[in-house]
Amino acid sequence: MMTNIDPSTLKKQKDYGTPGVNFCMARRPESATLFVGNSDFKVHQFDASAEKPELKPIAEDGHNSYVTGAALVGPTLVTGAYDKQLIWWSTVNNSVVRKVSAHELWIRNVIASPDGSYVVSVADDMQAHLWSVSDGKKIRTLSGHDEQTPHGYPSMLYAVTISADGKFIATGDKVGRVIVWEADTGKQVGEVETPVMYTWDPKARRHSIGGIRSLAFSADGKQIAVGGIGKIGNIDHLGGPHRIEVFDWQTKERKHEIENDNFKGLVEQLQFSPDGTWLAAAGGDHGGFVSFYNMEDGKEIKTEKAPMHVHEMSFSEDYRTLYTVGHGKIVVWELQGELEPLVAPRT
Amino acid sequence: MTIRHPQIDQFNRRRFLGTMAAGAGTVAADMTVLNVLKNPAFAEELKRQQKSVILLWLAGGASQFETWDPKPGRPTGGPFGKIATNQSGVEISELLPKMAQQMETTALIRSLNTKIADHGGGFSLMGTGRRPEAGIEFPDLGAIIARELGRKESKVPDYVSIYSSTEGRRNGTSGFLGGRYAPMFLTQDVIPPNLSRLEQVSDLDHVQRAELRQLLTDRFQSKRQSLVVSSQTSAYERVRGLMSSERLFDVEEESSSMRAFYGPTQFQQQCLIARRLVEAGVPFVKVARAWWDSHGQNFETHRELCADLDQGMSALLTDLEQRGLLENTLVITLGEFGRTPGINPSLGRDHFASAWSCSLSGCGIKGGTVYGKTDPDGNTVADGEVGAGHLFATIFSALGIDWQKEYHQGSRPIPITDFGCEPIKDVLA
Repeated sequence: MMTNIDPSTLKKQKDYGTPGVNFCMARRPESATLFVGNSDFKVHQFDASAEKPELKPIAEDGHNSYVTGAALVGPTLVTGAYDKQLIWWSTVNNSVVRKVSAHELWIRNVIASPDGSYVVSVADDMQAHLWSVSDGKKIRTLSGHDEQTPHGYPSMLYAVTISADGKFIATGDKVGRVIVWEADTGKQVGEVETPVMYTWDPKARRHSIGGIRSLAFSADGKQIAVGGIGKIGNIDHLGGPHRIEVFDWQTKERKHEIENDNFKGLVEQLQFSPDGTWLAAAGGDHGGFVSFYNMEDGKEIKTEKAPMHVHEMSFSEDYRTLYTVGHGKIVVWELQGELEPLVAPRT
Repeated sequence: MTIRHPQIDQFNRRRFLGTMAAGAGTVAADMTVLNVLKNPAFAEELKRQQKSVILLWLAGGASQFETWDPKPGRPTGGPFGKIATNQSGVEISELLPKMAQQMETTALIRSLNTKIADHGGGFSLMGTGRRPEAGIEFPDLGAIIARELGRKESKVPDYVSIYSSTEGRRNGTSGFLGGRYAPMFLTQDVIPPNLSRLEQVSDLDHVQRAELRQLLTDRFQSKRQSLVVSSQTSAYERVRGLMSSERLFDVEEESSSMRAFYGPTQFQQQCLIARRLVEAGVPFVKVARAWWDSHGQNFETHRELCADLDQGMSALLTDLEQRGLLENTLVITLGEFGRTPGINPSLGRDHFASAWSCSLSGCGIKGGTVYGKTDPDGNTVADGEVGAGHLFATIFSALGIDWQKEYHQGSRPIPITDFGCEPIKDVLA
């Protein structure tokens, strides 16, 4: 079935300034209510449909560091942070249900499975853990990424995604390695490499930058898109093109290699259209961008400059609204097209 | 009296004679001294007499928030927390867990306000301890230390500066103190170039030439006193000493366990070289770790670089202490400036010289102390504001150098400490 949303019609609709940095978001289905993780260590509720939307903390206490991942399953919100904790919240009464010391090092992302039975957290201890949403118990650990970079420094595990059918989980790390896992068993079933996304400067500055920051499976689960940044000359800054590589992950064939030097920085978020005809990407450096790419030929359909470095995005169910959160702002975008929702977008 | 040690005899062909007169303590300084130091009496004498400085230069400007002055929970604090150290009441960034366990020999200064926030100007200010002045070339810290702590007859370099990365690479300066105190500046390779004997000259030739020269010199000087000959002999011995010091720079001379103790990275191995150099009597060693200039991705950069610093510095302090050298070696961490409290959209921090930190460990330092304070967000110094001159006065004091000493340029007195600056007594033992 086709989605006739036209990415070339992307247009900024509303722009809201917020304090701090908004690192993550989970949207309540069929609504403009966002749960936003912020650099103030709090989880906020933001109603984009309100007359004067603003961030409102769902609780004064919670995490002890930057909130970097948020996943919503029904009334249960699970957030993760640099404090190495996961917190289960009830969004009915905005209370803490449980706190779990989930990782040894800083948590980078938390997402929910399509059936809502579990969440996956990834962290700089290079582990991905699966947790039951209902009781908070750890189901499984996915362990296979190297703890150190090839140059002997601590690595990071930034990105995670789950296929729409729930069968596969993919994780991506700093040095450009993606591992695909069987969700039910934790077995490694695939791997692709994107080494260009990791820049090590051996001569001038002797440290690294970059890494895989985003992953997305296509709706049929056969392709995986990997987002990061291209090679950087001066690693003091995010001065490289934003970069996406798309693979048939089972054959390891690279379908597309995309670099956009007009909009530099990290690709922090990726999402395929339900019919797989386009890929949305968002991210930034000092500024930000939202881009759409044609998945037939890999060409750019549209890029709009975002007024901030975008850290997370969420499409409405009808794909006519795009919510983005990032550095000091929340921006709502609109797209035109026929209302043909096919598959519930990731919230 | 010549020091004999079984292991020295193994290197007889490249061994240079050194003399240690009782009470005078002139050190024979070449690669063999590292073996000689196994003699407890010799080590004790060295310990008593030779003070040194190891400057860990955090080139590019390390963030005080992610090292010595964390502000977790503040809008400026970033995501990393603070950890308790083994000194009650002293907390540092969680990115330095090893250093947190050995703060007993380290003092922190958190109240530097040096005002100059560009790399070149900051390098000059924090290198010389004062702002530049027209018509005069101030020597940097290394040159002053070389002058004050170096020995005339030393056969090792007085001032070694290791800067292996290309970014921000700047040589030190001996200024008006002249070439004698200029740094041996090592960039491409940590083994100094042009120290090895020429291939055309065999080991035997080299030694026999030296012996012949000594024979002729001794005969000449037995019948007449000549300052020229003495000066030339001194220079020649110095060059031969420098030639033999090549092996000081070779970490392969250390056991694999010692190399592993320091860690595998270039910086960590260079910390090991620094220990070897001070152990052999080099008064000043600078090891630069470039490049901390994290305008983008500050937290990722500090995760990497702090891991490097934490391992290298903690190993260095432990090793110096275990060898009985730390009480006579001052280890400093310093850069051009710190980094902004504000976090930019690339999650970076920019240059900031208004409220930042450094550390002093070892010789003459009251460990476990913290001097100075910044405001809750780290925007300004709240208490104990000091500048580069105060820091330099403190360093001189810690080493037993008269911080009020003056050099002279012609008839003009030039104090080694900038005008109006005094040592920070709170951090001095």
